[in-house]
Amino acid sequence: MTQQNHEQRIRVSMLQRFGFNFYDVFIFVLVTLFALLCVYPMWYVLVASVTPYSEFVKGGLMLVPKGGVDFQYYVAIFSTRSFLNSMWISVAKTVLSTVSSVFVTAAMAYGVSKTHVKGMKLINALVVFNLFFSGGLIPQYMLYKDLGLIRTFWVMVLPGVLNITYFIIMRNYYSYSIPKSLEEAALLDGCTEMGTFFRVVTPISRSMLAAISLFIAVINWNDYYSYMMFIGNKTNLQPFAWVLRRMLVDQTMMNQVRKGAMSLGSQPPPPMALRMATIICAMVPIMCVYPFLQKYFTAGITLGAVKE
Amino acid sequence: MMVQQARSLSQDDLRKRGPGFLAYIRKYWFLYMLVLPGFIFMAVFDYGPMYGIQLAFKKYSPKAGVWNSQWIGLGNFERMVGDPNFIRAFRNTIIINLYNLLFGFTFNVFLALMLSELRLKKYKSVMQTCVYLPYFLSWVIFSGLVQVFLESPGTGDSGGLVNQLIVAAGGEPVDFLKRPEMFRSILVITNIIKTSGYSTIVYLAAISGIDPALYESAAIDGANRGNAIVHITFPRILPSVVIMLILQLSGLFLSNFDQVYNLYNNYVLSTGDVLSTYIYRISLGGGGTDFELSTAMNLIMNVMGLIVVGITNRYVSKLDVQGIF
Repeated sequence: MTQQNHEQRIRVSMLQRFGFNFYDVFIFVLVTLFALLCVYPMWYVLVASVTPYSEFVKGGLMLVPKGGVDFQYYVAIFSTRSFLNSMWISVAKTVLSTVSSVFVTAAMAYGVSKTHVKGMKLINALVVFNLFFSGGLIPQYMLYKDLGLIRTFWVMVLPGVLNITYFIIMRNYYSYSIPKSLEEAALLDGCTEMGTFFRVVTPISRSMLAAISLFIAVINWNDYYSYMMFIGNKTNLQPFAWVLRRMLVDQTMMNQVRKGAMSLGSQPPPPMALRMATIICAMVPIMCVYPFLQKYFTAGITLGAVKE
Repeated sequence: MMVQQARSLSQDDLRKRGPGFLAYIRKYWFLYMLVLPGFIFMAVFDYGPMYGIQLAFKKYSPKAGVWNSQWIGLGNFERMVGDPNFIRAFRNTIIINLYNLLFGFTFNVFLALMLSELRLKKYKSVMQTCVYLPYFLSWVIFSGLVQVFLESPGTGDSGGLVNQLIVAAGGEPVDFLKRPEMFRSILVITNIIKTSGYSTIVYLAAISGIDPALYESAAIDGANRGNAIVHITFPRILPSVVIMLILQLSGLFLSNFDQVYNLYNNYVLSTGDVLSTYIYRISLGGGGTDFELSTAMNLIMNVMGLIVVGITNRYVSKLDVQGIF
């Protein structure tokens, strides 16, 4: 028994000399496999979407583009009018919603984080209650109808301005992550509440605000729910996420794009290849902000989550 | 509901209380101003719709509108209980959520531990970049990816990659997305791929806060790395695990509309139809106009969800972790 233990120890130490042991290899392999599972589908779709038709139909793992790079599917997509229009709608919707949402939510979160001020606790409870209890789809629909918002652009912007999830995160940030002494010092030096907020608190919470802006922007870019529920069939208001969804599930939309491609002189592209090109188009904006997202989001998600 | 620390009033506050309400408002006018826009949005768009809940107890007629429709008591709820599709959607919702808890939730903790055990710092950050990525793609894109991979061979194409592989290995192609018995597994697995990486962030943050000296002294005492995980790392992330568990439990009656709606089809309704998709189909989508039934279901879900949250929150507040609420 002890002999065996001794041998084991020697084996382990020998492996450690090479800088690894079986335990490390096991973890390395498992994590790598899972990471591949997360990333490979996107790579596959990217490669497949630029593979020429003759190679595409053969299938395969698509590790590298074979037979050259061919952007015909992208040309087909971008020559469809509703695509460009929907891009503009999405950009407008995302910018408007994100800017208003961050201003309104951050301001409210800061106010409510001052729990010693009368009424703030009640307001906080009212906001949080909504996370668990809401009217639901039909009551929302009825209200928007009464307000005249149904089938307008604004129904995609206004209802989401106060973001409850990020309200909670920001409130925790303001209550726990900003040193109390800093604000007190500012007030003591004769700074008003307003001056404290704009000149002391806001500058030091810049990175939190940047993180949350990005998160809210991604949510808005991906949102098609508000269009589907409350607008439905006004094609000039379609956000990009909705066009994307139609491309993926709706045969008529697909046929429209394929016909367009035929008039450009090529043979009708296979639906699957068009779908892949659409997926890539939808991923590009997210990929552009991803490096920034990643820089901030660890901070963003753990903000105020752990008591100091 | 809140786990906030009440701050005692300062001397200054107490003095200013004297002159009364207006003086108080004047002192804190700026804070109230900050809260005001959000308060208005909350009142209009979050509490505004609540008057529509009365539809759950009414028979809706478009002519009369919400307020003037006729009261019918609990009739809608009786219809709801007698509706086999509702029962089915209710059961599916809970089963899928329990699966997500059993497989998804445990996998998140497992993945966080694995990531933290990677020794090469550079490699670890590359892996993190990879596993966080799918979280930021919408379910529309993600379900598009799923379809691209699982599609069955049709006329003119060889099907998705998975079926190509199955055929290459000599098997019969499977139409995964149309098989009811596979649909829940697909939901759980796609949910893991999409959200697991992101869910580890909370745990990794907790792990990074552990004092390295603990590991060093454990190693001197003869603990191997397995022991260190069990006796040092895991107990340290336990509070976060419990919080996340409770949060997930409180969503037991909620369903991921985005995921299910983008993946399901008529073939898999028996195992895949959940409450949110059913509520949508009978009211706004798919030609249904049963506004009352939809509202009644929503109300019941909300009330049951509140009960669960109420119960679980009592446990959260006892933990030494600042709750999200």
